[in-house]
Amino acid sequence: MKHVGTIARREISSLFVSPVAYVVLTLFSVLAGFFFLSSVLQFSEYVSRLQQFQVLDQLKELNLNDHVIAPFYGVMSVVLLFLVPGITMGLFASESANGTDELLLTSPLTIWEIVLGKFLAASGFVLLLVVLVSLFPGILFAYGDPEIEKTVSGLLGLLLVGLTYVAIGGFASSVTSSQVIAFVLSFVMLLLLWMLSFLADLGAAGGPVGQSGVAGFVRWLSTAEHFQRLSQGIISTADLAYFGTMIGTFLLLTKAAVESVRWR
Amino acid sequence: MIEARHISKRYGDLVAVDDVSFSVAMGEVVGFLGPNGAGKTTTMRILTGFLPATDGTAVIAGHDMFEDPLAARRSVGYLPETPPLYPEMDVQGYLSFVARLKDVPRKQVREAVERALERCGLAHVRRRVIGMLSKGYRQRVGIAQAIVHSPPVLILDEPTVGLDPTQIREIRALVADLAAPKQGEVQHTVILSTHILPEVEAICRRVILIHRGRKVLDSPLGELTAGGRSLEQVFAQETSRDLAHAIVDEAAGA
Repeated sequence: MKHVGTIARREISSLFVSPVAYVVLTLFSVLAGFFFLSSVLQFSEYVSRLQQFQVLDQLKELNLNDHVIAPFYGVMSVVLLFLVPGITMGLFASESANGTDELLLTSPLTIWEIVLGKFLAASGFVLLLVVLVSLFPGILFAYGDPEIEKTVSGLLGLLLVGLTYVAIGGFASSVTSSQVIAFVLSFVMLLLLWMLSFLADLGAAGGPVGQSGVAGFVRWLSTAEHFQRLSQGIISTADLAYFGTMIGTFLLLTKAAVESVRWR
Repeated sequence: MIEARHISKRYGDLVAVDDVSFSVAMGEVVGFLGPNGAGKTTTMRILTGFLPATDGTAVIAGHDMFEDPLAARRSVGYLPETPPLYPEMDVQGYLSFVARLKDVPRKQVREAVERALERCGLAHVRRRVIGMLSKGYRQRVGIAQAIVHSPPVLILDEPTVGLDPTQIREIRALVADLAAPKQGEVQHTVILSTHILPEVEAICRRVILIHRGRKVLDSPLGELTAGGRSLEQVFAQETSRDLAHAIVDEAAGA
């Protein structure tokens, strides 16, 4: 496993000499600022309206965590869905396009070292994005008193969602040598995964799907479900296990896809 | 140093390599010849462990490629048909990356890279980004990555393809130099694939000819051209004789 670091370091430095990393960082910061501002403004307008009409019981319910931070995290998790494929699309596709897969596969290292090294590199980048996100609730701590536990648990959720996206995006990149196809493929997979909870909701509203265990399973598969609980401050083993399962499964699939060059 | 034992590679019904065996001794430079599509690249990919053989095995510097792949791969330097380069990296950074991949001990990486840069005449472009280099220089970087860990065995797949005459001459001199090292340098056993015959005459002492996936000829260069024949005549004769054999076989089968 000593080559994991070698692979990861090369991948990170490649990311930062290409424009991709900077484009993603810039877009991400701009969007984060925009959505944070809009959720703060929305919150303050809501507060002033409730005060105007003296709806005291509702005013009491309002807090920064549930009405500013959680919605902000929610939007940022959707932003990740768009941007993470941009980071992962080149992970494996560029190797087969450059012919460098021949270097990696004839070097004395295992396929796991390649897969984990690349996963680690892209995960590091996602961590950077989550740190960027954390700056915004940080501002709220200066002016208000949100709960630290909920705030951090939401960040953890965002990170886990990001890592899951990296594993899936990496897999999409390993099945093609075209970065464009890798991007589109991972984007579609992530979108579907996100939307699954809507499907389950529709099923639950009636119809045959809602009656069976299928709806439950579909709901379980959906990333949004698990993320939501974390952003509400609920850290449960079941949700952590979900993210672990997803990441593990897609890393396994990636390993198989990389290895499959040898079967052909 | 290199031993191919009954290597075959089939893709479904297509037989790319058919029962090829040969061995190459320490310090030999062998020209691996054959028309395009003869199975040269496939054989080399099997020898380097990139592809598994359907049958047979390869032993590199005493390590079986299929039983102990990591040790076997450590002993090979491989230049594929397209040099495996990362266009965004600089030459030195790329070579240190490869050195670490190939298990060069951490403390010796710098020295190994320095030696490879020197030997391939790349010292003055070490800080240049690979994507901005000319084709000839990129080819040299490709050779440098193959020798950076001083492997006993070098496998070069068409190292001079697409280069201009001056560059071709330089690369040939470099390959010749790799097999006949000066004092203190590592001696490499080299297999070099090509379909350019003068190249073989310039640097190889032995020729293996592959045609339609089969080995049709394996002999020292001196013997082949002893009767005053040119290598070109030998090549044409062997590849057409095999064709004639195939026709006879087919007729007999029918």
